[in-house]
Amino acid sequence: MKRRAFLRAAGAGGIAGLAGCAGGDGGTTETTTEGTTEDTSETSTGTATGTAGGEVPELVVATYGPFVDAPSSSPGASIKETFESEFDATLRYATPDSEINYFIERALRGVDIDADVYVGLNVDMLIRIDEQLDEGLFTPVNGLSRGGDVKESLSFDPKGRTIPYDTSYVSIVYNETLGDNGAYSAPETFDELLDPAYEGDLLAQNPTASATGKSFLLHTIKAKGADGYLDYWKQLQDNGVRILSDWSSSYTAYSNEEAPMVVSYSTDQVYAQRSGEDLAKHQIRFLNDQGYAYPEGMALFEGTDTPELARSFLDFMLRPDVQGEIAQRNVAFPATTTAELPASFSEYAQAPPEAVTFTYDALRDNVSEWTQAWERQFASK
Amino acid sequence: METVNAVLRTAFSRLEAHALTLGTAATALVLVVVFYYPVATVFVDAVVVDGQVTIAPLVSVLTSRFYLVDIFGFTAYQALLSTIASVLLGLPGAWLLARFEFPGRETLRSLTILPFVMPSIMVAIGFVATFGQNGTLNAVLGALGLPTVDLLFTIEAIVIAHAFYNAPLVARVTTAAWESVDASAVETARSLGASPVRAFRDVVLPQLLPAIAIGATLTFVFTFASFPIVLALGGFQLATVEVFIYSRIQNLAYAEAAALAVVETAISLGLTYLYLRYEGRQRASGQGAQPQPRRSLWPESTSVRSLGTRIGIVAYALVVLAVFVGPIASMVLTSLTGPQGGLTLDHYLFLLERQQTGASYQVRPLPAIENSLLFGVGTLLVALPMGVVMAVLTTRQFRGRAIVDALSMAPLAVSGIVVGLGLLRGLVFGIEVFGTRVQVTGALAVVAAHAVGAYPFVTRNVAPLLGNLDPRLVESARSLGASRVRALVDIELPLVAAGVVAGAAFAFAISIGEFDSTVVLAEGSTSYTMPVAVERYLGRRLGPATAMGCVLLAVTSLSFVIIERFGGRYGGRGGF
Repeated sequence: MKRRAFLRAAGAGGIAGLAGCAGGDGGTTETTTEGTTEDTSETSTGTATGTAGGEVPELVVATYGPFVDAPSSSPGASIKETFESEFDATLRYATPDSEINYFIERALRGVDIDADVYVGLNVDMLIRIDEQLDEGLFTPVNGLSRGGDVKESLSFDPKGRTIPYDTSYVSIVYNETLGDNGAYSAPETFDELLDPAYEGDLLAQNPTASATGKSFLLHTIKAKGADGYLDYWKQLQDNGVRILSDWSSSYTAYSNEEAPMVVSYSTDQVYAQRSGEDLAKHQIRFLNDQGYAYPEGMALFEGTDTPELARSFLDFMLRPDVQGEIAQRNVAFPATTTAELPASFSEYAQAPPEAVTFTYDALRDNVSEWTQAWERQFASK
Repeated sequence: METVNAVLRTAFSRLEAHALTLGTAATALVLVVVFYYPVATVFVDAVVVDGQVTIAPLVSVLTSRFYLVDIFGFTAYQALLSTIASVLLGLPGAWLLARFEFPGRETLRSLTILPFVMPSIMVAIGFVATFGQNGTLNAVLGALGLPTVDLLFTIEAIVIAHAFYNAPLVARVTTAAWESVDASAVETARSLGASPVRAFRDVVLPQLLPAIAIGATLTFVFTFASFPIVLALGGFQLATVEVFIYSRIQNLAYAEAAALAVVETAISLGLTYLYLRYEGRQRASGQGAQPQPRRSLWPESTSVRSLGTRIGIVAYALVVLAVFVGPIASMVLTSLTGPQGGLTLDHYLFLLERQQTGASYQVRPLPAIENSLLFGVGTLLVALPMGVVMAVLTTRQFRGRAIVDALSMAPLAVSGIVVGLGLLRGLVFGIEVFGTRVQVTGALAVVAAHAVGAYPFVTRNVAPLLGNLDPRLVESARSLGASRVRALVDIELPLVAAGVVAGAAFAFAISIGEFDSTVVLAEGSTSYTMPVAVERYLGRRLGPATAMGCVLLAVTSLSFVIIERFGGRYGGRGGF
């Protein structure tokens, strides 16, 4: 961390002198009053390096925005608080809008990466990284003390760089109240979904740009095979499926009762219950009794200058209490077998009878072809 | 003392003599740094793959039936429909605002800027709530015993949403032109025996056409590159080219993304070029403006004709109510609706709570408001001189004028997604100069990027009016010893004040509403704005995001009404 702190101190230039005074006694405490606070703490640690020697190391955790700043609940704040109270370190979040692409771009253009850990990786991102970069962006992680607690089925990185920390399952969410006599029921299989009775009933998302949309497309490929899915989609399109841009716009339309079914996550009732919504409007259906697994992982940036601290952080994230915290606040299932969760959690967070997913290898070899063939069949028709 | 004064005066007059040149140079510099260079870093991917120069990506797009016919064809088709709808919806508005007097006219005119600052996610939410199966429109139709309509996920929904954004644009530029029509010319025509219709056709219309044409051109260019609204209201069956550019960039398929974006930009710029050649031919020698008197909205007489006019106005008001007021009102209502459907202030309390307890890495409402206003004013101050300089430059006659003019319009014709990626590569990552990495980020970069997106509006509002001025005005001023800048400031600008003010309003609004560049340049700093906050607060429930959206609307409305009140003391007309 020293080099970065120094560079930033030098970069902050004119305010360094002032900051040294203002942040002299407690420069590393987190304050939220001013936009310049971050500079203050950094410059004071930077200038302290040579004299006092009591520098608190900084861990930069890059992640996606909602992990630290969602309007409902995010695990970011409690992770930071607990981690800082137990480790002698400052945790700083970085949430670039283009998420992992931001760091791939930096690596492609030979620009330094100012982060130690990335939280929020999925298998698509890994494939993208491996397609674009000859040298690794992340470094393999072995021998975490809690590495063995992670469920085997969730691992999605054959090169051992990514440690899963939670998972979601993509499923159908449907609104029971929209049927005759308030008894709408979603179909149970992919085949039934083609029934004219469900015409115009399903909202899904653009698979080339949305995680739920892509998971749903991949699930149809699981169910119908690489040879059969386009034909299946032809019939689905004839039956009036609507593909919107992203999860948010489709869920908006669903909430306005434009259609009785939407492709979403099987944890939907957790939110609905928390905010006191009618659970009949948030029923879960696993088509073919399967849910498409969407695990999220974390990894160490190869260029980290605090590898030990970063590894401690990964281990910390797998701890039973932290796993429980992440699951509840990120509203997803924990990745370990040892997570501490209240019994009420599983009451509303539904897991599928069978979880399905494609391996890294299968996706790397096929996914672009699959989605582009789908695009060409579906768009502007 | 006298010598000092003399030296100062000489220095000043030298500066003044070269001010236009300096202004042009500064404008060019800003354009290169925050637009042309960043965009070039993306476009180059269309012609250089793995270090090799190639035309393969462009050829593969241009020979693909899927891209050419299905995607570009449909994109152009929906843009054309959207343009027609926007002009049809905008012109009556311009007529009303320019030719009638009624209480609240100035305020209403100020508020026509609102659609411009609405984040597309808010428009999508508002439209679903208004035009959906269970939307307000169907509720009203049902209550009146009329058949309901199923508008969502059709091309009609996209066209109406595009009209929501662009009809106010058409209305505003046309209003500004209408107010610059010289009343004495109309009176002369009438005194020579022309009927009102004839006088309108021969005197007024020729002066409105360039404004209508620019409104239509800009509408086409914008809707050609429209993105989030298309998929949110239409669905993937109605995908436009921008949908594919976004998806390719997200998947880092840069060659294909760049090739698509180059073709998209070429089409938009080509169209802009055609418009500019037309605008160049429209230069008439007007006399500056003495606006026509406004009529009262309430009929003075009860003639059939005046009654017909009023019925037309009422019908138009109903359409405006459905298309503009409906979605905005729905958004306000959503921000006040709780999980069980009852009214609540919870979502606004969320904003307050986030303001008080939000961590430094979270987006808080107040800094977002402050930044938006600060950047808005900054953009105004940078974009106005840039736009006026460019307008003066392009009203001169020289070879290739239309090409320079078209290139100066490029910021409107390049995909926002491409600009965002370019800014990341060009400014955020910076370039290595003598071992030091030079980066441009934070507030200044945001203002510069907003100004680049905003100044073409100033130019397009000012240039046609400037071109209409009698060149003898400037010539006589200069023969009396005035510098070119002095002639511009003292003679020309006051005569085209309506255009300058209209351009300024756009500049401010563009800055307030901008998202793609802001989110890239503000990353890692506290320079986020209101639209960024709206996006951050978007979650499973729509309350928090719509509450922030309403704050955005309220702050913007208030700014425009205040500026209009103060602005009214100066020019007196052509207000915001």
